[in-house]
Amino acid sequence: MATKKVVGAALVAGGGVAGMQAALDLANAGYYVYLVEKSLAIGGRMSQLDKTFPTNDCSMCIISPKLVEVGRHINIELLTLTDILAIDGAEGDFRVRVRKNPRYIDMSKCIACGECTKKCPVKVDNEYNELLDKRKAIYVQYAQAVPLKYGIDAEKCLMLTKGKCGSCQKVCPAKAVDYGQKAEEAVLNVGSVVLAPGFKPYNPKDFETYRYADDPNVMTALEFERLLGATGPTMGHVVRSGDHKEPQSIAFLQCVGSRDINRADNGYCSSVCCMYAIKEAIIAKEHAKYDLQVTVFYMDIRSFGKDFERYYEKAKAKGIRFVRSRIHTVQPLKDGGVRFHYVTDHGQSTTEDFDLAVLSHGLVITGETQDMSRKFGLETDKYNFAKTSSFSPVALSRPGIYACGVFTGPKDIPSSVMEASAAAAAASSKLSSARGTLTRTVNVPAPMDINGEPPRIGVFICHCGINIASVIDVPKVVEFAKTLPFVEFASNTMFACSQDNQEQMVKLIKDMRLNRIVVSACSPRTHEPLFMETLAAAGLNKYLFEMANIRNHDSWVHAGNPEEATRKAMDMTEMAVAKAALLTPLTENVIDVDPTALVIGGGVAGLNAALTLSQQGFKSVVVEKAEKLGGIANRILSTSKDEDVGKYLDELQAKVEADPNISVALKAEVGQVEGFVGNFETTLTNGETVKHGVTIIATGALESKPAEYLYGQNPKVLTHLELDERMKARDEAVDAARTFVFVQCVGSREPERMYCSKVCCTHTVHSAVHIKKKNPDARIFVLYRDMRTYAQKEDLYKEARDLGVIFVRYDLDSKPKVSESGEALNVEVHDPVSGRNLLINPDFLVLAAAIVSGRESELAMKYKVPLDEDGWFFEAHQKLRPVDFATDGMFMAGICHYPKPMDEVVAQAQAAAARAVTVLTQPKMTVGGIVAEINQAKCSGCGVCVAVCPFSAVKIDEAKGKAAVNEAMCKGCGTCASSCRSDAPILRGFTNDGLFAQIAAAL
Amino acid sequence: MTSLPDLNQKIQSAAKRLLAEGKAEVVIGCRQGTTPMTVAPIFCRTEDDCNQLIWSNFAKINLATYLPKYPGKVAIIAKGCDARSAVGQVVEKQIERENLYIVGVACGGLVDVEQIQAREPRPIRAAEEDWATIKLSGDGWSSSLPKEDVLRRNCKTCVSRTPEGVADELIGEPTEALPADDYADLKALAGQSLEEKMAYFKGLVKNCLRCYACRNACPLCYCPVCFVDETRPQWLGKSQDEMDTFTFHLLRAFHCSGRCTSCGGCEAACPMDIKLREFNRLLDEEVQKDWNYLPGLSWDQTPPLTTYRPDDEADFIK
Amino acid sequence: MSEFEPKIVAFFCNWCTYGAADLAGVSRLDYPPNFRVVRLPCTGRLNPKYILEAFKRGADGVWISGCHPGDCHYIAGNYHARRKFMLLHHMLEAVGLEPGRLHFSWISSAEANKFQEIAREVVEKVRACGPNVNFRKAELDLGLPEVA
Repeated sequence: MATKKVVGAALVAGGGVAGMQAALDLANAGYYVYLVEKSLAIGGRMSQLDKTFPTNDCSMCIISPKLVEVGRHINIELLTLTDILAIDGAEGDFRVRVRKNPRYIDMSKCIACGECTKKCPVKVDNEYNELLDKRKAIYVQYAQAVPLKYGIDAEKCLMLTKGKCGSCQKVCPAKAVDYGQKAEEAVLNVGSVVLAPGFKPYNPKDFETYRYADDPNVMTALEFERLLGATGPTMGHVVRSGDHKEPQSIAFLQCVGSRDINRADNGYCSSVCCMYAIKEAIIAKEHAKYDLQVTVFYMDIRSFGKDFERYYEKAKAKGIRFVRSRIHTVQPLKDGGVRFHYVTDHGQSTTEDFDLAVLSHGLVITGETQDMSRKFGLETDKYNFAKTSSFSPVALSRPGIYACGVFTGPKDIPSSVMEASAAAAAASSKLSSARGTLTRTVNVPAPMDINGEPPRIGVFICHCGINIASVIDVPKVVEFAKTLPFVEFASNTMFACSQDNQEQMVKLIKDMRLNRIVVSACSPRTHEPLFMETLAAAGLNKYLFEMANIRNHDSWVHAGNPEEATRKAMDMTEMAVAKAALLTPLTENVIDVDPTALVIGGGVAGLNAALTLSQQGFKSVVVEKAEKLGGIANRILSTSKDEDVGKYLDELQAKVEADPNISVALKAEVGQVEGFVGNFETTLTNGETVKHGVTIIATGALESKPAEYLYGQNPKVLTHLELDERMKARDEAVDAARTFVFVQCVGSREPERMYCSKVCCTHTVHSAVHIKKKNPDARIFVLYRDMRTYAQKEDLYKEARDLGVIFVRYDLDSKPKVSESGEALNVEVHDPVSGRNLLINPDFLVLAAAIVSGRESELAMKYKVPLDEDGWFFEAHQKLRPVDFATDGMFMAGICHYPKPMDEVVAQAQAAAARAVTVLTQPKMTVGGIVAEINQAKCSGCGVCVAVCPFSAVKIDEAKGKAAVNEAMCKGCGTCASSCRSDAPILRGFTNDGLFAQIAAAL
Repeated sequence: MTSLPDLNQKIQSAAKRLLAEGKAEVVIGCRQGTTPMTVAPIFCRTEDDCNQLIWSNFAKINLATYLPKYPGKVAIIAKGCDARSAVGQVVEKQIERENLYIVGVACGGLVDVEQIQAREPRPIRAAEEDWATIKLSGDGWSSSLPKEDVLRRNCKTCVSRTPEGVADELIGEPTEALPADDYADLKALAGQSLEEKMAYFKGLVKNCLRCYACRNACPLCYCPVCFVDETRPQWLGKSQDEMDTFTFHLLRAFHCSGRCTSCGGCEAACPMDIKLREFNRLLDEEVQKDWNYLPGLSWDQTPPLTTYRPDDEADFIK
Repeated sequence: MSEFEPKIVAFFCNWCTYGAADLAGVSRLDYPPNFRVVRLPCTGRLNPKYILEAFKRGADGVWISGCHPGDCHYIAGNYHARRKFMLLHHMLEAVGLEPGRLHFSWISSAEANKFQEIAREVVEKVRACGPNVNFRKAELDLGLPEVA
């Protein structure tokens, strides 16, 4: 067989959070990545969000480090304003034809000063703020955008449309405006493609009865989100867009464009709207300085994710009202409000007025994405979501093309991030032979030894065109800098960040043997890495650098007071010089990485993680405490897509057994654990010792044993898994049964277990449909609190209703009553629709028993990873790091993290493997830099530093009785340094003497 | 109530037994001082040493201060505050639990020599004591004072007079805990003007010599290098600057917050009779109010500055 | 200028409030130029001694600002910091520091407006306190820090 060409590069389409994650994981695994984004900047929908549920994290705060990481990654080539025209070839060797549309700005010159925008006369509706305010024709999408380069809206620019104006070109201090740019086509050669095109919010304008199109007091939830945002049109002040009045009452209308085939053709549930509505309701109430009344009108509240149920309860406790009713008609009021007529849960007809209505719109696939699917030959479902299977949730119908994010179905951020990592793993599964062939590395000269030399500081004061110099007297600051201690050289520069200034800086460092550099310019948050690279290129340790932010923190905010601004710039420069004088070179060390993974748990998650790692060429050891592999899936009949789980498990097991990279230890558990990322050593209870670089915890969870509804007392009362087992065994009694009652939320969503087990509603409707199809005469009753068949699973719920399954809702305070009389079971439940009690005598009563964690606290202690209060393993970040632990080298997959269905388990397993590969792929890991160390002479061994370290990076060396920092685990926050009474921990780069010198210089 | 001689007898036999059984290589306790109304620490390794052990109303030193200096198996004759400090040292890993044996002694509170001298200005040549009374005598005179009248301030609000729960054995009948400090004086002061607050606290330390006797007497001050001795950076000037002195006391109290057992060792050690605990009390009040924390009451406590709750008080933050 | 211009030392965490100050700059939101910023990786890095040192050296006010609870880039640095700040703040005001000299805030990197608002408030409150005479050293042991 001829060797097929394999290209060690991948293309990721879409620069939202999913695309970014996929790009980062691929690039960090040794593949060159083209990240294609059609707009000016990456960030996607998440950049528009104010807060994220259920932690109320600031969305921009958590996404912006990721934006910067993508923007600066040496192996990610960012192609903005780029469209994909065609994908030719096959997996391993695709040729992707793209069109790069002109930005009309030379990106290498633009310094993002914003002078152009100030002068631009054209006002355009601002998409970032959902058209609630205006931007200019030359603009950045948002202030933190990456790349932070302006672009011209060709359809609106006067110069480009009418050939007149040109004022941006005139004012640009960097001469970056180029009206002559033309679109260019290019062909990119990549081994695989990941599509992350995202979604658009459903546009409710066609729903005439909602009056969105013509009533300013009806807005969409994304518009409302922008209203809440600190960077939004009203800077977080909630006012109605029509009359700018503060609303006293707000109503959220759920399922607008979701779960609706009458008007919207969208039968699916959009999965996120309940949660974002709750979030927006909470935040709106927090923003209002008055008692804002918020009501959410809903059909079922679907708070099915980790910590979501508590969030919902919190909202109720805060006084947010939840009304179970679908509003169909909004009647505008003369004085600027809206009126609803609705029927309550108890069948009463009511009228209520609100000042503002917010439509919780669903997520839909854009027309462009639909075109793309057609053009590239990708199968989709009837809602235009990409077709995938539960067992390979990110692989599309065309081999070599993968997907993540909302393209495969509506989902929230952590699920998108998980899928993104999974897609990275899948997309590189066939490319591992070409790993590292196209990636680039930076070669830097060995740094010169400055040991024993007094500080020789070079100071550069930037004009930033006119951004700084128009306010601050730069020459005066330069003259002042020359008088500061240890300053050997001070000079001004037009653009400190320009290529020629970098070259000049390198030359000066070498010629004058400067050993510390201070740049007074813009923000170290954006520019410090650039200057640090320049230092490194000049052979100076890159940590001998300090910045003073005289633009963002000075000239831009004190324009009206040049004298004080100049004085402040002098002080800031002095502070930077004072700290710089005390900086010492920081070393980065390399540690070996053992390229093996230990996978704890041999269920679907663990096995998929091991197989995914094997595809990438890494060995793993799977530890399973049971006698056989497969975990809880051994008891499951089929997935919600009707895929046979037993058959799948057989195949999975066969693959694992045949895989030379995987060894399995059955009836074994973790004994002793030593080491840290790159170098773990785990002794198993069977005596085997495993050396491994990473650990993946996939220990699963349990189906609880209910303590109610006669479970365990009457043989006709079963749990979901017991029913599945009986159906798998083709149990005659089940086949012959005529009446089934399913009870949902048995042990879930109760005060002692305040979470939703996520899979049970789908499991029930799937079982019901399965039974009904086999036996159409069977009578099936489902007693539920909220049906939570999210995403495309809503179709199953509908199918069950169409097949005649009867759904009866109950409340926590009126749970069904189960009794037995002889052999017969009696189930009594109050039906809120008819207002009467129903009495059913089922042949089987099936309980949706809560899924409970195995509370692996011993395992958690051994690897120093946390469990949350429900016993689930607790991830590093609930939104953006859903498979990582805070401790480096530790990952998780499957339902030990939280209950989830098969496709999400497989995705998380692939994701954990992808994250693990980013560690395993480096034979050596660089550690150090800005990390803590312990001054042994000052340490009393009291353990405060150990207790406060969020990353378990400090431990007490028992032999010495002193603390020690593991550089590989330390993230450099300095909490240890400030908590120690004797100042034994030293945070390199932010030392006590350096910071004291800054304080002294500030005053 | 066990008489003092009986109590001393029991302490001595316990100490001898512990040495004989090898449960301790040294027993730390108090012996009579060389001048009236004083006691000194004694580190018993022999029966003879043990015969000197006493419990005294004048035992103002916190014996736990000596524990970290003895790496082997140590027993401590501990009143409530000593025991709590010893527990704190185990929690803070300065000593190992298995090397520590606590002989708890029920304490009825200690007396304040300054107050005695204020009431009895004649030179005191000898003092006899029992649970309730201090009998004083001098050249040709004798008098007696009810102990209640001259109790140390910290002892009046002691919530752990008997080291129950943490002691390996207990001598004497448990004494009831007293009502906790209500901080009424500090609360009243909080309502005063800034000038009055400043005057009060700066006034407290105006005579401070920065001799650090308070630090040396404190069972919490075991740092190899104290911040006052730091040079890079120099946290505190070496001169007698008022603000440096004030800063020393603020930081000393801050370092003791959530750890101080109100033993009063610092005040007892101060040659200038500074009411040092006022600074500690400022923080103790907050630690108890916000985190409901009293140090040294159990072996598995988490000191409040090594942990947090997401819903900690945050009203002072904008 | 007759009005008293206070000198304020501000300690900002790199990820949130320093970012908010950057964004305030991008948005050209002006505020008084009275404070100087010391950038820290995290408010968890802020040793309470720094606050006392700033006052001792003559700062008229100190302002500390970091990430909102839950937003910490280092997971829990700001939670640990909050406990220390609570105690120190309580102690300093109990011994006579003017309420209004020492400020704490949580400002996310997206809250440029809140940054501007608090910056103005801090400067005005410190200005209202007048010069710091009670918490500064009479004479500073000036001189350069030692350099190894």
